[in-house]
Amino acid sequence: MQPVIGFAGMTHLGLVSGICAAEKGFKVIGFDPDSARTSALSRGELPVSEPQLPELLQKNRERLRFTSDAAALSSCDVVYVAPDVPTDDLGRSDLASIGDMLEAVFSATRDNAAIVVLSQVPPGFTRGKLRAGRILYYQVETLIFGRAVERALQPERYIVGCADPTAPLPAAYATFLGAHACPVLPMRFESAELAKISINMFLVASVSAANTLAELCEKVGADWSEIVPALKLDKRIGQYAYLAPGLGIAGGNLERDLATVCNLSDSYGTDTDVVRAWIANSRYRRDWVLRTLHGTVLSRLENPVIAVLGLAYKQDTHSTKNSPSIALLSSLTPFRVRVFDPVVPASAAPNPRCLAAKTELEACEGADALAIMTPWAQFAKLDPAQLAKKLRGKVVLDPNAVLNPAACRAAGLDYHTLGMKS
Amino acid sequence: MIAHRNQEPKKPERVVLLGARGFIGAAIRRQLDAQRIPTLAPASAELNLTEADAAGKLAATLNPVDVVVVLAAITPDKGRDSATLMKNLAMMHSVCMAIEKAGCAHLVYFSSDAVYNPTVSRVSEYTPASPQDLYGAMHYTREIMARGLSKVPVLVLRPTLVYGLDDTHNAYGPNRFRRAAQKDGKIALFGGGEETRDHIHVDDVAALTVRCLLHQSTGTLNVATGISHSFFEVAELVAKQFSSPVEVARTPRANPITHRHYDVTNTIKAFPDLRFIALEDGVARAHRQMTEEKS
Repeated sequence: MQPVIGFAGMTHLGLVSGICAAEKGFKVIGFDPDSARTSALSRGELPVSEPQLPELLQKNRERLRFTSDAAALSSCDVVYVAPDVPTDDLGRSDLASIGDMLEAVFSATRDNAAIVVLSQVPPGFTRGKLRAGRILYYQVETLIFGRAVERALQPERYIVGCADPTAPLPAAYATFLGAHACPVLPMRFESAELAKISINMFLVASVSAANTLAELCEKVGADWSEIVPALKLDKRIGQYAYLAPGLGIAGGNLERDLATVCNLSDSYGTDTDVVRAWIANSRYRRDWVLRTLHGTVLSRLENPVIAVLGLAYKQDTHSTKNSPSIALLSSLTPFRVRVFDPVVPASAAPNPRCLAAKTELEACEGADALAIMTPWAQFAKLDPAQLAKKLRGKVVLDPNAVLNPAACRAAGLDYHTLGMKS
Repeated sequence: MIAHRNQEPKKPERVVLLGARGFIGAAIRRQLDAQRIPTLAPASAELNLTEADAAGKLAATLNPVDVVVVLAAITPDKGRDSATLMKNLAMMHSVCMAIEKAGCAHLVYFSSDAVYNPTVSRVSEYTPASPQDLYGAMHYTREIMARGLSKVPVLVLRPTLVYGLDDTHNAYGPNRFRRAAQKDGKIALFGGGEETRDHIHVDDVAALTVRCLLHQSTGTLNVATGISHSFFEVAELVAKQFSSPVEVARTPRANPITHRHYDVTNTIKAFPDLRFIALEDGVARAHRQMTEEKS
């Protein structure tokens, strides 16, 4: 008999994980104390934007039940505790909400139910919540905003933190994990908690190296996009390495782990100078557009109008956490800006002189410069010739190279991107 | 790294300039005068900040609504020893004592990029101060003295190399090059002049300072353009201004090459419409002024 899987916390992580568990054929209880949230979900209204998620919700409605009554979790064999853990401006986690949620789950579930902490927590958290007679695990979540469904349905591996890594997993939990046909790596709690952070630190290291070298490319006349394929063919680096230059670290999760590593280092006296250098590099790269815009437009024109495409911190998400676009707009308050994002409303822009455009081209109408701040796929379809017609000026800042540089230059645009001399 | 207490610019009631007779002080005063902002600029003969009664004299002059801009210092060309250090600290001690007694609305302290380690090639306001000589240590100490004042909003400005017609320091760079070219028809470089530095025109320093006064900005800000040039490039630019040929001469290199670049992102964030005088324009301006002055 298939185990019943519970998910506590119907924010991004719990919601995507729950719907994907239903897609795997399991009966799922989605609990959240916010009844307005669960009622909306019961009506099929999603609070997050993820590719495929609406379709999977619709498809698996019979296996999904959303409730604000914790008692419903008593029927579950496995309950994931998965609320999004909020962070402050310094990336520090507020663990109060997950602590409360975990207590509620302990109270509502059977003693033989496996409770699995799925939220991102610092090393030592899960062991601190162990209690006699209860079954507790920590599982590394691998959610990527914009690719959350794909990652939940086809995980590369499961990393499971255990009180005793040599003991077999409970049958119901093992059955659920086994449905995903990927390696399961049991390890002690602290190793699993640090494994999650380690993964993110390697990603940040790659991105930081890419950004550092891409900036050098901009100065010496090299083209980072020509170098990347060479790196990906090196087995020590690999074809999936994060080598695309960008506007620094955003979204909140990586920043959280950077803060956690620094805090642990401060406590234990270990060396994390390199981690602090990554943080500084991220802060510096985030403002690439502002610096370039200042050099090309703001310091040259009176009352310039700036078009900004994209508000989300990356494509396929509604999240604006630490978004470079929001940071840019907060520095453009003296100027008129015309904004378009396919998902995020223009009201998210911290700019009193912001016009909400209905389309990309409307945003460009009469603007002196265009900044493409989020690499939404639909922006890649924009015709540089049409952009050139709509814009008053010719400056296009496209850090993520959404548009074709050669086509833009052929259209007479003054095109700037990361990793390439303009 | 700076925050504006006035989101919209607002003229201060009065600016007290300590060190207004200097190169930068005079430029600031000109721009304050142009904006009809009242200034008080006591000369060192009236107010010698190294003297024991200076704090009392200054306190008697200050009003709580005043903005105080401190440029007064004994510059390195007049001494780099510990006696100079102590005099400079005594001057700042007088200023701090006076402000503690009389109060002021805003204190702007003119520090120096000498607070940074000279071997650091890229500097921002996040770069830790690490002065390597007494002059840098003096400025950093005076910064700390300023920040230690209670209830006074403090702005610290750290200018890079400043150039302009009236510079009296004659340090290696545009000013010395211009004078050497004028006098000898020759500019002598250290080595090949490969070192890069950020040179800012004194009028830009003054303009940025006045903006900070109008916004009552607090924090720490480097005063630089964000664009560095080699001394060779600077020499060539200066030489180009003269109608008669000017030799740009290389000499055997005695010291290793060092570079200095500024990340001015924080300046752009504070004043996104700020424009700097390009080096070629600034050099041309100084040359033109020199020619006009002579004729």
